[in-house]
Amino acid sequence: MLLIGIGGAGCAMVRGVTRAFGDGLRYVLADTDAKTGEAGGPFVLIGGDRLSGRGSGGDIVAARLAAEDSVQSLDDSLEGVRLAVILTALGGGTGGGATLETVKHLSERGIPSCVFATTPFAFEGETRQRNARGMMTLIEEAANACFFIPMDKLVGDAESDMPGAMRRAADTLASGVTLFWRLVEKPGYIRLDAERVRHIIAGAGRGRFAYVSAQGPERAREIVDSLINSPLLLSASGPVSSILCGVLAGDDLRLSEVGFVSEGIRESFGYKASFELATVNDEETFSGRISVVLMLFESTRPESDESKGGEPARRRKQRAILSTGPTGRGRFNNSEPTIWNGEDLDTPTFLRKNISLEF
Amino acid sequence: MSNIYAALEIGTTRTMLAVGEGETGGRLQVTCHAEIPSAGVRKSQILDINQVTQSVKGVLHEIERKQSETGSSITIGNAFLIVSGQHIKADPFTGSTLVEGRVKESDLAEVAESARTMTLPKDRELLDIADQAYSLDSLGGISTPVGMAGRILKLDTLHIHADRNRIEDARTAADGAHLEIREPLFAATCAADAVLEEHERRNGALVLDLGGGSTGYAAYCDGYLVSAGVIGVGGDHITNDIAHAFQTTQGQAEALKVNEASAMLLRAESSSPRVKIPGSSPLMESRTVSRRALDTVVNARLRELFAVLRETLEERDLLHRLHAGVVLTGGAAAMRDIDELAHRELGMNVRRGRPIYVDGLDKEDRPEAFAAIAGALSYAHHNYAEKSIFGFDRLLKGLFK
Repeated sequence: MLLIGIGGAGCAMVRGVTRAFGDGLRYVLADTDAKTGEAGGPFVLIGGDRLSGRGSGGDIVAARLAAEDSVQSLDDSLEGVRLAVILTALGGGTGGGATLETVKHLSERGIPSCVFATTPFAFEGETRQRNARGMMTLIEEAANACFFIPMDKLVGDAESDMPGAMRRAADTLASGVTLFWRLVEKPGYIRLDAERVRHIIAGAGRGRFAYVSAQGPERAREIVDSLINSPLLLSASGPVSSILCGVLAGDDLRLSEVGFVSEGIRESFGYKASFELATVNDEETFSGRISVVLMLFESTRPESDESKGGEPARRRKQRAILSTGPTGRGRFNNSEPTIWNGEDLDTPTFLRKNISLEF
Repeated sequence: MSNIYAALEIGTTRTMLAVGEGETGGRLQVTCHAEIPSAGVRKSQILDINQVTQSVKGVLHEIERKQSETGSSITIGNAFLIVSGQHIKADPFTGSTLVEGRVKESDLAEVAESARTMTLPKDRELLDIADQAYSLDSLGGISTPVGMAGRILKLDTLHIHADRNRIEDARTAADGAHLEIREPLFAATCAADAVLEEHERRNGALVLDLGGGSTGYAAYCDGYLVSAGVIGVGGDHITNDIAHAFQTTQGQAEALKVNEASAMLLRAESSSPRVKIPGSSPLMESRTVSRRALDTVVNARLRELFAVLRETLEERDLLHRLHAGVVLTGGAAAMRDIDELAHRELGMNVRRGRPIYVDGLDKEDRPEAFAAIAGALSYAHHNYAEKSIFGFDRLLKGLFK
């Protein structure tokens, strides 16, 4: 597995993960700003010729073009990679513009991708919100799995001071991803190896992601309560079809606690959903504490032989849409298309215009 | 003696037949009409002739049943056919003739004849020729050139034509129901004939005939039809978008569109935030969807449609000449708040169009849906009843068997 940070915020989150995880984590940082690479670590400058290493200036289009120019410069880092996990921030600049091109490039190379992207705080304004919404749809089309995490929900406390809130949001996401990495790289009695994760991610689609920790005699109950009430897991868009749950703890983890947590999750998010459980036993890191990483997916995409080799996500997603056909043309599938300025107007407008629906 | 006419519209969502009756020179009365849901039609084009034949038989039967209830007993043998679909195009063509001294009536006939010499490809069928203004030498925009001095008289026209095979399919389907197609007529110009006031044509007006499978338009300036066409997007696209967004059946999506959705987003703020979708069968549970999401889907589709129309009008340099505004007709014109959205997107006054030149449709809930059929009957009344007895007899013979 390879961890990729895109843009200033994405790279900062990756650094947070590497600090927390320790040695052995394979990663690369990619940004349009050359200064990001000065702090060390494997670094790829995006669009050096176009932007001269000065950053995108918050311009999504410039960043996207820069990524188109130079996304191949990631190739050295992609040798032997079976799954890429991307950390980024949407809304403006490099994260917003270059993430999509990176995901598309990975797909072309047959590497499944899983994107963790934060979306802007509400106070950052409608322009950044709109930019993020537009990119979310495109990234969802191209990536195998994606988690869009509103910064407002990551912080949750409106009274936080601003620098602290921003830092806390980034740290929270980085911590969650670190735990996910541990699940895969340092498995415990119930294993979830990288190949199994790759298999799940390849057919996952859009999901929700959260992690919680608790300690003390009631820690299992607190875990379940926290998950049920987590704003990151709230969604009205549809039933959960698959669940990936990781329980990380020290040597004192009891079987009954694992049972309580898994039962609580399944009761809350649906018994019908497929359920994957893994544990990590690491006394040094988790002594006296339980941490749970939870991923919920709302639609499991059919996995084909192609997808095992990293089939472009666009095609897989199209197959997953049942009622109106692969392109959304639905009842117009056999009709002469209405083409306007190169667009097929029979395809739903909200899809073509990347309009997010507030379900 | 009364003249009786019938008009048939094989639409994407409904098949409609109407019968009109009127004295020569008088107003037409729609005496009976019937409509049933269409089958076998997509985007205003026939995909299954047998299903369409059944639909035509259905409306014929319904008309006969209604007539028998009133003590009448007629069998309809022919009808004017209202057509739409993106295969319909309009092309300008200018006829010309040499004038000796001053323009005479015979010159007008000659130039009109010349303007009708445009040759269409074999696969096209002429629906209408709309005369526009005359020009005499370098002087244009003349409405009555008789008596004026000049050398070359020209007449601008707009030829509206359709795919011959599509019209033939409709004829075949009607034939199967023993109904002869009298003449195919373009839906949007029929609707315009029914709803536009004379001053609106002079000041510049656009009629948008919003059908299930397509949207026809007819633009008038200085009293003339100056542009017409069809965009292959209609109310069915809204239904399809809703079905895709919320993973519903087309029937559920249609019900959401008709009963709950609005073209404007603002309304979502003042209504219940969730909309219930009944189960698609007794075994399926009902569920709810966000009203704002529903309105967003509809708003996006209609804004795009109006943007396409706006671009079309700009290309033809018409956008700023339509001072009387826009008149909405067709079944999809009943969409909630569509007039307000059209006003915002097109920047013109917008009203819904009800037929004003025929009687008998005053009590209809959605009169704009009857505009095209009223216009077709009106056309028949004015163009056939006033002609020779031979033409009148011929029509009558066909109408009653």
